[in-house]
Amino acid sequence: MNIMQQLVNGLALGSIYALIALGYTMVYGIIGMINFAYGEIYMFGAYAGLTLALSNYVNVYVALFGAMIITMVLGVVIERIAYKPLRRSSRLSALISAIGVSIFLSSLMVRLKGPNTRGFPKLFENRIFAIGDFQITFYQIVIIGVAALLMLGLHLFVTYSKTGRAMRACAQDQDAAKLMGVNIDRVVSITFAIGSGLAGAAGVLSGIYFNAVQPYMGLLAGLKAFAAAVLGGIGSIPGAMIGGLVIGLTEIMGITFNLSEYKDAFAFAILILVLMFKPSGILGRKANKKV
Amino acid sequence: MSLLALADVTIRFGGLTAVDTLNLEVKQGEILALIGPNGAGKSTVFNLITGIYKPTHGKISLDGKPLAGIPTHKIADMGITRTFQTIRLFSELSVLDNVKIGAHCRGNAGLFQAFTRLPGMKREELELEEKSMEALEFLDLAGKWEEKAKNLSYGEQRRLEIARALVSKPKVLLLDEPAAGMNPQEKAVLVEMIRRIRDTGITIFLVEHDMKLIMGISERIAVLDYGKKIAEGTPLEVRSNKAVIEAYLGSGKFKSRIRR
Amino acid sequence: MKKLLNNWFVQALLFLMALGLTAYVSQVINDVLPPYVLIIGLFIGINLIMALGLNLITGVTGQLSLGHAAFMSIGAYSSAIATVNFHVPFLLGVLIGGLVAGLFGLIIGFPTLRLTGDYLAIATLGFAEIVRVQFTNMKITNGAIGFLGIQGSTTFPIVMTIAVLTIFAMVWLEDSRNGRAMLAIREDEVASSAVGINTTLYKIQAFAIGAFCAGVGGALFAHTTTFIQPTDFGFLKSVDILSIVVLGGLGSIPGTIIGAIVLTAAPEALRSLSNYRMMVYGLLLIVIMIFRPYGLLGGVNLRQAVRRAIMLPKKKQTGRGA
Repeated sequence: MNIMQQLVNGLALGSIYALIALGYTMVYGIIGMINFAYGEIYMFGAYAGLTLALSNYVNVYVALFGAMIITMVLGVVIERIAYKPLRRSSRLSALISAIGVSIFLSSLMVRLKGPNTRGFPKLFENRIFAIGDFQITFYQIVIIGVAALLMLGLHLFVTYSKTGRAMRACAQDQDAAKLMGVNIDRVVSITFAIGSGLAGAAGVLSGIYFNAVQPYMGLLAGLKAFAAAVLGGIGSIPGAMIGGLVIGLTEIMGITFNLSEYKDAFAFAILILVLMFKPSGILGRKANKKV
Repeated sequence: MSLLALADVTIRFGGLTAVDTLNLEVKQGEILALIGPNGAGKSTVFNLITGIYKPTHGKISLDGKPLAGIPTHKIADMGITRTFQTIRLFSELSVLDNVKIGAHCRGNAGLFQAFTRLPGMKREELELEEKSMEALEFLDLAGKWEEKAKNLSYGEQRRLEIARALVSKPKVLLLDEPAAGMNPQEKAVLVEMIRRIRDTGITIFLVEHDMKLIMGISERIAVLDYGKKIAEGTPLEVRSNKAVIEAYLGSGKFKSRIRR
Repeated sequence: MKKLLNNWFVQALLFLMALGLTAYVSQVINDVLPPYVLIIGLFIGINLIMALGLNLITGVTGQLSLGHAAFMSIGAYSSAIATVNFHVPFLLGVLIGGLVAGLFGLIIGFPTLRLTGDYLAIATLGFAEIVRVQFTNMKITNGAIGFLGIQGSTTFPIVMTIAVLTIFAMVWLEDSRNGRAMLAIREDEVASSAVGINTTLYKIQAFAIGAFCAGVGGALFAHTTTFIQPTDFGFLKSVDILSIVVLGGLGSIPGTIIGAIVLTAAPEALRSLSNYRMMVYGLLLIVIMIFRPYGLLGGVNLRQAVRRAIMLPKKKQTGRGA
């Protein structure tokens, strides 16, 4: 087996996980909440992209963009209805509410589109580029490219924009940020919008890549992406990217070594191992125990 | 005779030396105060003694027995209990339960007893209840035994923390800013309580900001600045110590404003 | 009279009578009610047993676990293997299921309980996924196809009796030195170790006992459905059990009982909505959390409330005046 080849496969898969993981990590960083419904937002993104692509009027990039807009709105609406009232209560209540959202969304999609797996229309020629033994498909290039572009955009936004600065301030100390005149509700909404948009994009990309869309696809992908976020150090944006790539690569390596039955376990085994030795994740800051 | 001894104790957090080669002895039956400006490392000393932090260097011993490597919960069992700077009560539990839990290390019952509820376990529970009520009465909280801890007033919560630390009959009681946030009346009551606790034979080691309280209650005072001990002695000695005055008020030009 | 009630033998006798009464009454119910109602009652009992175990871990000790279904599956498979492959009697098989799951609780507890809060949650979730994948790939469990041919030995009286026994055990545990230590850990871990509580020990105890309950529930489940497969014990199963505990009110035993009844019966009651029922179930979780964020009985001290209602005047004099 060609190592480079597996690297590219892992990179493509990892990019998808990383995009979802970013949503988890940003929301966690700012309001300390695990938004379990992200997997379902990803699923919604995939369906939105599918519906747009089937409408014949749009090309793949418009479908991708449209799906991102739809999931952004969805994310903000979910936050307002199901999470905002619970911001001051225990994180478990918020977690259960998120699980409620997740059950609602996937069963809603079963109602709307039926429980069966659907294929994705062929949006563009999937050419294969080969350099010697090494092959990369056009799909993979698109996935890795789009993911890299989105992550770069996110990085620039968080680092240089005024809103990005407000987000970082909220992550440090919400009350202090509030006193400095940061509108917390607005920042949280924007965070949810961005995270959901990224998850939506991931949904479309994975729909294209695997040629399969299904109402329950969000559960396992969401769990793995969450594992990726924790692995990289939850709350850290570069951490989520690294975590996603690590999980993607491990999974592909597992398949390479003929352990594909166990591939779903790899993400979690790695996660537990990392947590044992570095509980705050790869890039996570060690929380100072204040007594 | 020294009961609790710190020898050359140092702890570094990254580049910061929070406590620097501290030598300190707490004598049996005394009231010793540790003072110093904010961030001098006072609470860190308590966290070192109770095993929450491990010293980078140096030794801490109780009754001659080294405390190195002993986990926090065993240190409580050996006879050092404490209160916290920011109140740490079991806030959803009742006042009585808070104190009962304080005596945890003096109990023996395990899972077998929990599920069989044999007469022996009931006797232990009854004794525990009596001891706990005594501790509550001692701190004038007996009337509130049924309340949830979070519903007590601030001063009462501070007292409950002391009751919880006291019920296991420790050798040394560490009080971390016990008067913080109290009004003058509550402080007066507190001073009287601390004296009464000492009179039952428990050694008191406290960190405090309130100078009036410190000067009134303690028999000896140690002063910490930037993790280093800069003075030690009776309240009178410490009060007139040059290094202490400098640490608190800065050197030079403001000296004239110190009242002697 | 009061002295008599405090006598250990009298109490033990009363306890056995309560168990006997439960068995008798549920036998009578068993003979009267139609099977489709009984099966709901049976699942309420099974869910209650597992939820009480999770309540000990999450509600009482404050350790968020998202992998309870893993212990359930371990109990289910090991009891099924015991009764089918080794012809062990049913009740012994249930005990074996509980013990094996409890043992795994111990083994998992040691390394993972160093983690706190959400990190522990994600580690338990990861563990559960690994267990599920493992069962999918094992020969003795017949992999993804599922384990067939388990005897349907579970009956309504058996489940009810075990459920009542579990309730008693949990009430006793909470009212003991161990239980108080667990509650203290939930409230404040630093303060707990400062008063001499070995936090790791009690967390592991809670984990192992909780896992035992899940194992017993799993064993009863396997011998109800007679057929189990790894997908029965996915993440959503863990969520089901957690919802029962949170909905009822974390740390509240009466709350857990109500939660088990409501959430087990709700999907059945919603059956008339057929295709919409899971949507309604999801909405129900959201709505309940928004209006009762601490659960239906969260923050209600039933014992105190009942005592205040019944003997308020007397208690006030002796208690408050002391």
